[in-house]
Amino acid sequence: MALVVHPDMSTVSGLQSALSGKGFTTIVARDLPTALLAMTQHYFEIAIVSAHLHENGDGWPLAGVLHLVFPKAFVAVIAPHEPDILTLQSAINYGVREIYQQSAPAQDVVESVLAQVEPGSSGRQSSSVQ
Amino acid sequence: MVFENEGYDVTIAASCDEALKVLSNGMSFDAVITDLNMEREDIGLEVARAAIKRQPKPAIVICTGFASMENSRESLKMGVDYMAHKPVELTALISALNRLISRKQDMRGRR
Repeated sequence: MALVVHPDMSTVSGLQSALSGKGFTTIVARDLPTALLAMTQHYFEIAIVSAHLHENGDGWPLAGVLHLVFPKAFVAVIAPHEPDILTLQSAINYGVREIYQQSAPAQDVVESVLAQVEPGSSGRQSSSVQ
Repeated sequence: MVFENEGYDVTIAASCDEALKVLSNGMSFDAVITDLNMEREDIGLEVARAAIKRQPKPAIVICTGFASMENSRESLKMGVDYMAHKPVELTALISALNRLISRKQDMRGRR
């Protein structure tokens, strides 16, 4: 099961569609409360989170919490720009496994994530929490 | 000294070579903390790489004053748990280490 947290509807749709196409049940959230609600209701193997939810950088702590709650999950962050050294340090310290740029096509992001996810992960359908 | 004060038993290695020997002698570690630049630049990544192969995997912490895009990306890719840039804030490092070790012990306990 996968969680996509991003304020931009088209990004959310693209990632949801790409993940569903690969057989993953995908829950989407466009804000922090919805993401937290989803975390109380599902067990996630993949989480893709925007670095910017409501304010710059507020997606990072959410990614860290996802890593703590779902220690085996592959947690990725979508950042607005090419990561610098401090962004990479944040990723390491929050337990994030990969950083993607906002401009990366959803299909490429999902393929890259799935290539790095531990075998045994699987999903079926797609659903939304709004 | 700092970690001993926190109640940890500490094994010291003065070089990458020494660390690799310690890691290969079968001792179990909750955490491995390494500098990046020792015998040569970024050689600490070899210590991290060797530590990651250990089962159970210890918490891996890199402390460096020479973070670069390359060594940071490599650390992220290999699954380093924490990267501290020098000057290291000891309170933050100890807190991170305690959290990482507790979490790993918790995960092992759940199996």
